[in-house]
Amino acid sequence: MVDTPILELHGVTKRFGPLTALKDLSFHIGEGEVIGLLGDNGAGKSTTVNLISGIHKPSSGHLSVDGQQTMFTCRSDSADAGIETIYQNTALVDSLSITRNIFMGREITNGLGFLKQGEMREIAMEVLKSAVHISGIDSPDKLVGELSGGQKQAVAIARAVHFKRRVLLLDEPTSALSVRETEALLNQVLRLKAGNVSSVLVTHNIYHAYQVCDRFVIMSHGTKVFDVAKEDTSITQLTEYVVLT
Amino acid sequence: MTTTAEGAIAPPRHTPRLLFRQLLAHPAGSILLVFVILQVACITWALLHPDDFRYLSPQNLAILMRAIPVLGCLALGVGVLMIAGEFDLSVGSVYALTAIVMAVQVDAGMSAFIAAPLAIAIGLGIGVLNGLITLKFGLPSFIVTLGGLMFWRGAVLLYNGAVQVRFDPEPAFTGLFAGTLFGLNAAFLWFLALVFAFYLLMHRHKFGNHVFATGGNRPAATAIGINTGRVKIIAFAIAGGMAAFAGILATARVGSVQPGQGTGLELQAIAACVIGGLSLHGGRGSVIGIFLGAMMIHTITNVLLLLRAPGFYLEMFIAMLIVGAAILNQFIERKGTA
Repeated sequence: MVDTPILELHGVTKRFGPLTALKDLSFHIGEGEVIGLLGDNGAGKSTTVNLISGIHKPSSGHLSVDGQQTMFTCRSDSADAGIETIYQNTALVDSLSITRNIFMGREITNGLGFLKQGEMREIAMEVLKSAVHISGIDSPDKLVGELSGGQKQAVAIARAVHFKRRVLLLDEPTSALSVRETEALLNQVLRLKAGNVSSVLVTHNIYHAYQVCDRFVIMSHGTKVFDVAKEDTSITQLTEYVVLT
Repeated sequence: MTTTAEGAIAPPRHTPRLLFRQLLAHPAGSILLVFVILQVACITWALLHPDDFRYLSPQNLAILMRAIPVLGCLALGVGVLMIAGEFDLSVGSVYALTAIVMAVQVDAGMSAFIAAPLAIAIGLGIGVLNGLITLKFGLPSFIVTLGGLMFWRGAVLLYNGAVQVRFDPEPAFTGLFAGTLFGLNAAFLWFLALVFAFYLLMHRHKFGNHVFATGGNRPAATAIGINTGRVKIIAFAIAGGMAAFAGILATARVGSVQPGQGTGLELQAIAACVIGGLSLHGGRGSVIGIFLGAMMIHTITNVLLLLRAPGFYLEMFIAMLIVGAAILNQFIERKGTA
């Protein structure tokens, strides 16, 4: 299943002035694979996410997509490669409707740039019906500010799926969610996996990761210290690696 | 008001209340309501006491139509910028500077039809400059444009001294910007046309969506691939350009420019936007709100004048209107993001 990884990091190092945030980091993400990127604060998880989303460029080493060496210089490069990052609080605009959020930056317009509102609304309705199995969202005209944390994330994920993303980077997706919303989110990740969409869960919460991930990459001090498939490890061993390295 | 079947059985009884709630949920809903009530009250009173309260007299309506467009145009520009999450305090000075440049050039023999676009180009340029300084140095636009407010006011004096300039363009120009059409003041018609154009731009065009996204949550807009820096610079340019356009309307109407004119207008423009339901944090607001905010300030002033309130009371009422509107907005915003 992981013969030709969708995305691969090869010996990536990232320095910010005198600080080395990432040191010779290598790992891959296969098609339809769910990876838990674990590690304590300061392990370099966020830098890794920013690097994969194209916000940072590696100081040395490189990324490859479908086996082709590539370079992400901005956010839209990673989007073109089918990668979407979903941050906890920065994915959506509260003061805009769900429809406008789904099509934010990718509006359907006529030749003059005017919005085709009817078409966008219809698609948004479809997206909500098919992808978001979280109750309570009854209309795509609702303002995102009126949604709960879990509903917001569901909308962000639905948006990514609608735009045919192959890899979702979920940055601390469960930290602000209720128990029920967390369950719904993890189930959504599994459903996406069934549809061959890969996910990377960047999280502190080993239990949530263990529920859905196929493989775990544990980072410490900017480098990978452990890379293991779920069947070869246990929560106890993962915890030990996170805490003790 | 029974519980379960209520929605099915009695939709008509429920609808007005629902509509009312939807109206209030709109960024400009509450101001629209207040505006309509005010108009109904004024018109009723004017019809009952036509001699005492000359609200509907042709002279009064003409005064209103001439007064509103200048503040209105400034507010449209400032409002777009506020929705993008930035302020422009320099528009009052830019308004004076561009008008003076236009008047001086026309006095020197340039056609007003060239001098006016030149004024707008200067306004756009100053707006872009404000935007570049704000973004390149990561400064609050409040401070950058406060600098602009003083700098361009000084530039007015440097350019032409502290003297009034006559503006005597070709009659076609005066007709276009200060004449009347179907009994309506040309400046007011320009304002209405611009309100419509801004409505299309902000609520029906993808650029508007990008402005709301940039002001509402800049990291999210950036993450999705919107060039938020460019959006903000365009919004700054719009604010500068509209300040220049307001200057053209005022100058064409009066026939001269004072170097001190427009002082305090920037604050009135921001006030109109706040009254119209724009958030001070960006991302929330509507063009209809800006329109109503500008109308509201002038209507209240006008009514107080008609009631023969002494001039120095006026600002107190406007002040109460602004703070009251801000409190209302804060309340609605908290509800919106709860």
